[in-house]
Amino acid sequence: MEKSKGLLKNAGVWAGIVLLLYSSIIFGLSFKLKYFTAFGPGPGMFPRWLSLILMIISIIYIWQSVTKEVLLFGDIFPSGPELKNILAVIASVLVFMLTVNFAGFTIASTVLLFILLVRSYKWYLALAISVGTSILLFVVFKIFFHIPLPVNGFGW
Amino acid sequence: MESFAHLLSGFETALTWWNLLYCLIGVTVGMFVGVLPGLGPTTATALLIPITFGMEPVSAIIMLAGIYYGGMYGGTVTSVLINTPGEAASVITCLDGHPMAKQGRAGVALGVAGIGSFIGGTISIIGLALIGPVLADFALRFGPPEFFSLMVFGLIMVIGLMGKSLVRGLIAAFMGLTLSLVGMDPVSGTLRFTFGEPFLMQGFDLVTIAMGLFGLSEILLGMENLTNSDKPAKVKGVLPRREEWKPTMNSIGRGTVLGFFTGLVPGTSSTIPALLSYSLEKKIAKDPSRFGKGAIEGVAGPETANNSYCGAALIPLFTLGIPSSPTIAILLGAFIMHGLTPGPVLFQNNPDFVWGIIASMFIGNLFLLIMNLPMAGMWAKITMVPGKLLYPLILIISILGAYTVNNDLWDVGVMFAFGIIGYIMKKLDIPMAPIVLTFVLSKLMETSLLQSYKMFEGDLLQLFQRPLSGSLLGISIIVLIFSIVAEIKKKKSAFATDVEM
Repeated sequence: MEKSKGLLKNAGVWAGIVLLLYSSIIFGLSFKLKYFTAFGPGPGMFPRWLSLILMIISIIYIWQSVTKEVLLFGDIFPSGPELKNILAVIASVLVFMLTVNFAGFTIASTVLLFILLVRSYKWYLALAISVGTSILLFVVFKIFFHIPLPVNGFGW
Repeated sequence: MESFAHLLSGFETALTWWNLLYCLIGVTVGMFVGVLPGLGPTTATALLIPITFGMEPVSAIIMLAGIYYGGMYGGTVTSVLINTPGEAASVITCLDGHPMAKQGRAGVALGVAGIGSFIGGTISIIGLALIGPVLADFALRFGPPEFFSLMVFGLIMVIGLMGKSLVRGLIAAFMGLTLSLVGMDPVSGTLRFTFGEPFLMQGFDLVTIAMGLFGLSEILLGMENLTNSDKPAKVKGVLPRREEWKPTMNSIGRGTVLGFFTGLVPGTSSTIPALLSYSLEKKIAKDPSRFGKGAIEGVAGPETANNSYCGAALIPLFTLGIPSSPTIAILLGAFIMHGLTPGPVLFQNNPDFVWGIIASMFIGNLFLLIMNLPMAGMWAKITMVPGKLLYPLILIISILGAYTVNNDLWDVGVMFAFGIIGYIMKKLDIPMAPIVLTFVLSKLMETSLLQSYKMFEGDLLQLFQRPLSGSLLGISIIVLIFSIVAEIKKKKSAFATDVEM
């Protein structure tokens, strides 16, 4: 029981399993591609060998993670306020991606920056920096570089 | 002599107002990201590639190359002033540079590093101008088997030298190889692993992946601890004392040679020559105990070596089309985006382009010398920008950069995903450099392998029978066996560092 609990917390083992799955999928799919064509080696040859080798390496990695170098989740990933900082970054990017197409770049970017900055600055300062930066970037990229940034119904 | 005439016409290209401006922008951005801890030249080049789409190819590469070698100068500033390396190659500089700053000699440390960097950088560019054309000429005779073997050699060197373990290096390398399978097969045009997704038909974009792996992952790591950095030391007086000139210049000379030759070996990183130079200086010093307490040679040698490395590391790119580090891999991507194929024919087909860039590097190094000697104190102030402000700003700029690759949110999503993968990989100590390198090389490798296969009518053992490809593969096998033995015995060399340069 103790040992299986340790395995669940072992980050290396999980990473190895993800890699093993990834390479197995490629390996499986490579059989749908032709290994040989009338002109010589086909599009399936390279993928099949690469994924096979990666499968073997992932198994060795899992084995190493269990026996030699045990990396537990708790030891390598942050917790508490540090974890919250990381989650804030991830959340802000997700919010940006979900809103930018209808809210427009300026608003989505302001929201992203505000989410991150309000954690360490006073809210009005965070808002001012966020709005200012977003407008500046919008002007530079949209007007100077002519990049078709997503806009809202009002054109910004 | 012919090279000299070419170089002169290169200066004509590089000295136009626009190209001077782009060179200045490039080296300034390079200095800037070099100074900022956690943001390196790899990220900066990846970020700025989309902006170069509308530029002339030569201006674009002049600017991007400027970021590359400018970053080497910038990293020194933070190493000396706040004991935090701005980029990986300057880790060694902390050892003696910061003690010098504590003794009130920060200016001298920066000055010596600036002078050394300038000398090392300039001499290695002269080397590039001399060796480049000759090597390119020689490489024209290479067939697919030679190129395949050369790439295998480069990859094995990367895996063998970088990262703390062979297995982890291999994981990264094969991740890169398999990721590049997505999209159209280079030989037959068959679609592979696209899952019916139109965005995947072109495959993943190198710039997007690199921005995620090197940029976003750094932002995530940086956001973890938002501590404020120490106040940087005061900078005054940049020249060494009179009796120090001779030992300093000697270390600079040795650093130049070391850096140049290391740069020629594919798969090395700029940390390696810096480390080698430091241990060499310590070994030949009359009083090695001074090292670590502010020995001027300990700053001059390594700082010269990493800049000299930079110029030399461009030689494999210009002559063979093979990148030796992630930043150079991104430069390769930029070449391709601007319709140029780096490789042996580059010197023949686009002499104006190549020589323009080489000439601009002389000018860029001069800019950097000026920026570093009289203006070192100004750069020090940048280190005071707090992370809590800096990282969110870099994040939104990265998102914009990813968006501009195809003007679509798809790339932002891809960058985001690779950012998280990169963050996890850093935590697991899996090196990232091999992913980007193999990702770039994979299609070339597949093409050259399949061409060789046809050439030899299926008998791939003939790869070993051609003298050059045979010896390259032979050396690769030896390096691989050596790494496996080292892995089993758990004795990895001191060079085992994962760095992005």
